[in-house]
Amino acid sequence: MSANAQQVNDSIPKDSIVYKTNYGLRLGIDLSKPIRSILQDYNSGIEIVGDYRISKKWYIAAELGNEEFTTNEDFTNSTSKGSYIKAGLNYNSYNNWLDMNNEIFIGFRYGFATFEQTLNSYQINIGNSILPSVFNNTPFTQKGLTAHWSELQLGFRAEVYNNIFITFSGSYKVMVNITDPTNFKTHYAPGFNRIYESNTGFGFNYTISYLIPFVKK
Amino acid sequence: MLNSSCEKDDFCIEPITSKMIIRFYNATNITQTKTVSDLSVNPEGYDEIYSNVSIDSIVIPLDVSNNQIIYNFSSEGNQDILSINYEIEEVFVSRSCGFKAIFNNVTVTSDVSNDWIIGLTETLENTITIPTIDNESSAHLQIFH
Repeated sequence: MSANAQQVNDSIPKDSIVYKTNYGLRLGIDLSKPIRSILQDYNSGIEIVGDYRISKKWYIAAELGNEEFTTNEDFTNSTSKGSYIKAGLNYNSYNNWLDMNNEIFIGFRYGFATFEQTLNSYQINIGNSILPSVFNNTPFTQKGLTAHWSELQLGFRAEVYNNIFITFSGSYKVMVNITDPTNFKTHYAPGFNRIYESNTGFGFNYTISYLIPFVKK
Repeated sequence: MLNSSCEKDDFCIEPITSKMIIRFYNATNITQTKTVSDLSVNPEGYDEIYSNVSIDSIVIPLDVSNNQIIYNFSSEGNQDILSINYEIEEVFVSRSCGFKAIFNNVTVTSDVSNDWIIGLTETLENTITIPTIDNESSAHLQIFH
């Protein structure tokens, strides 16, 4: 019975076309950093993004960047400057129609940054007092700082033109290990952004990327 | 992007630079506190911090821009001068509080005129050294009068 059915199936030509999508290396650039440096108190930064599709749903993904950011607080002003790499996987949870190649992805990353932080100026906090405080603006730079963190991403990616993609993504980061300058604290780590009291951080990216197709599957 | 809003997520709640706490004692019965009547206190070159008050303890700031501050203490028109010398240690507290100063080797010297202040120690000497001033949980200096 089952052997017969199998035979019947095989003898009928398939009525559906298999829609293939491109597999390959996708490279892009983060546009949020240049936009932020125009609109906000953001110094400068560049981030290259890339991913490589390994199966229908999974991608190996990484980000490589360099940035400089100045944190201005009530009593301190400090600048962090350095490079970072984030590597991990993306899982595409979106079921594409036909040969479309869009994504709603969840990403997991391990992040590492190596940077320096300069305490540009500071003031001693004396509270309410009729006496003057001290404003010290002799910069002090601590080099060789590192940060290790884990990151969860949620992103939306659309193929806006042949092999050209626009991506919006947000990230939640949890610091695993961070070094602080002597008698000071790391306020901002490249790639991690502001380090909140609970050692967590947030990020937002807006990238444009191009897929170099290797093979259609 | 999310981290760039102007709202602060933290406020300074940790202790910052401590002020010096002074308690006034009776020079003839050194275990007893004694109220100073008509007390006025000012750092030299600045306005009065206390003006004509009757009080048995006061709080005065030290100058973090110098290693010395001179205070005028007057009671009922009699003036004594206290010189306070110290080393300053700058210590980071937190993002919102910034840095605080800890005062070490704080030497307080009363002028020898003894108009109304008789001494700074239980043996009524005119000078005393306080190892460190880093909190406001108890008095740092006793003034006997």
